[in-house]
Amino acid sequence: MGNSVWKDTWLITLRSIKTTLRNPFSFIPNLMISAFFLLVYEGGLSGISQLPMFEGANYLAFILPVSIVSAAIGGAGGAGQGIVKDIENGFFSRLLLTPASRLAIVLGPIIAGMLQLFIQTLLIIGIAFLLGLEVETGFGGILFVLLIAIGWGLAFAGYSAGVALRTKNAQAAQAGTFIFFPLIFLSTTFVPYELIEAQWLKVAATINPTTYIFESMRTVLIDGWIFWDLMQGVIAIVIACTITITFAAVSAKKAVSRG
Amino acid sequence: MNGKIEVEHLSKTFKKGDVQAVKDVSFTVEDGEFFAFLGPNGAGKSTTVQILTTLINATGGKATVAGHDVIREPEKVRRYIGVALQETGVDPDLTGRELIELQANIFGFSKTEAKKRAEELLKIVQLTDSAERRIGNYSGGMRRRLDLALTLVNEPKILFLDEPTTGLDPSNRMAIWKELRRLNEENGTTIFLTTQYLEEADSLAHRISIINDGEIVATGTPRELKAQIGNDLIALTFSSKEEEEKAERILKEHMDPSDVILQNGKLTVYVEDGTKQLLELVRLLDQENIEVATVNLSSPTLDDIFLKITSEQAEKEGEVHGE
Ligand SMILES: Nc1ncnc2c1ncn2[C@@H]1O[C@H](COP(=O)(O)OP(=O)(O)OP(=O)(O)O)[C@@H](O)[C@H]1O
Ligand SMILES: [Mg+2]
Repeated sequence: MGNSVWKDTWLITLRSIKTTLRNPFSFIPNLMISAFFLLVYEGGLSGISQLPMFEGANYLAFILPVSIVSAAIGGAGGAGQGIVKDIENGFFSRLLLTPASRLAIVLGPIIAGMLQLFIQTLLIIGIAFLLGLEVETGFGGILFVLLIAIGWGLAFAGYSAGVALRTKNAQAAQAGTFIFFPLIFLSTTFVPYELIEAQWLKVAATINPTTYIFESMRTVLIDGWIFWDLMQGVIAIVIACTITITFAAVSAKKAVSRG
Repeated sequence: MNGKIEVEHLSKTFKKGDVQAVKDVSFTVEDGEFFAFLGPNGAGKSTTVQILTTLINATGGKATVAGHDVIREPEKVRRYIGVALQETGVDPDLTGRELIELQANIFGFSKTEAKKRAEELLKIVQLTDSAERRIGNYSGGMRRRLDLALTLVNEPKILFLDEPTTGLDPSNRMAIWKELRRLNEENGTTIFLTTQYLEEADSLAHRISIINDGEIVATGTPRELKAQIGNDLIALTFSSKEEEEKAERILKEHMDPSDVILQNGKLTVYVEDGTKQLLELVRLLDQENIEVATVNLSSPTLDDIFLKITSEQAEKEGEVHGE
């Protein structure tokens, strides 16, 4: 009698995926907003890429990272929402009463959220290709963009799961997600750094890690393999993941403990 | 491994609000026994269940379930118990069948074993017809029955059920009672049930502990407890305070004083045979020229038992301090 941690994680992840698929409204709005970035800004703003600072780059490739980060945040937010739902309807307690691995109980919804993120990112990239995306670094560049999306998503999943496990409250977890959305806009969202005029926005963009995520994605999409430009995104991810996953782990330990 | 529960000097204080929910509680439930914890809202029933089922830690004392210490060996305890908490814990997006199969898989059943077990359990709790529906669409009674099925997946040696019938209609309640009796009688499952209903404890349990304000105030078989309380209860009201007090004094002279309680303008009298003694009482008061405003004959409820037990305690303490 009894399973390995892996078996438990597998069982609980499968069940999280099932419940996500049965609630299409948990992911469709976010997917639509992300696609909206691509369609609307590509259609409405692409003229500005004629400006010299864009150095002839195609606006679609410039705006794509915004769309991807938005999809990644939405997907990873599913991790926290899954956990909150389990806590609120008592299913979390039911799992705690079984011999299931405590790690699996927390990890299941997080893995499902990451999977959701992966599929949403693929869909967004697919749409971009349909709109005529060209990638400087080809297939390898797309893989790099996916990795960055997953890495940034993981950082956010850690954060959202941490908030969920700590507050055990759906509204609080939701509010926690909203904090992340302004980060998308307080950055080099629509125009390159050199074109930002407001001083305060320049400062915000400099301290906002999202900027480095955008920049490293844009580098491979538009300019090519420029090592240090790529690394800034990787470094931002490593730092963010370290912080949020520690936060999630500490919160998880508290939530499954019997204090 | 045995189906015994042993609890010694168990206490739980919640830091939040500094509530002492369980105060130095001790009891033993034998292997195969059907034991009921009877108490009103906030008595500490759920807290006790949560400690015994490894969900929360006690702040004092010791508890052994199925031969394992709940604090030091929670993993072992979890294998041998089935638990239905007061709030049913189900995932509303799964179907009844999927949830039972998942629970079975978590307990280490193979895919085919899990399917078979789900089929059996659905039949037992009469949910076969709704097995393919999402739990979110189940009624309260159906959820409770599903919850019971989930607790049975691992063929537990000990079942913990926290108010399993509260809020259910009589037919659902009967279905659960019947299944619990069967489990206890046929499989020898030890059952620890909490309830606010005297009649439930009375009709199911071999032994009952009454818990009030975190403390066990009485323990015994249903028969023993009732004998202590009296079978019937006569409630009298009067039109003036003087008459009330006079009536209390007279009745206390004529019977066991602890069976006569005056509280909030109501004189409650515990008696063996209500219909016979009602007339005697009224006649007695009439002789003393006391006019009875209303009379009510009923069976004791949980409230009445508490009233009786707590007033007895107060009296005892009064004697101790008074002399
Ligand atoms: N997590 C908690 N934090 C603080 N106080 C709590 C907590 N859980 C319970 N209590 C308090 O402990 C006391 C006992 O509560 P408990 O839930 O054990 O009662 P109960 O007998 O199950 O009542 P009910 O019949 O209403 O379910 C109550 O005063 C309650 O407010
Ligand atoms: Mg309770």
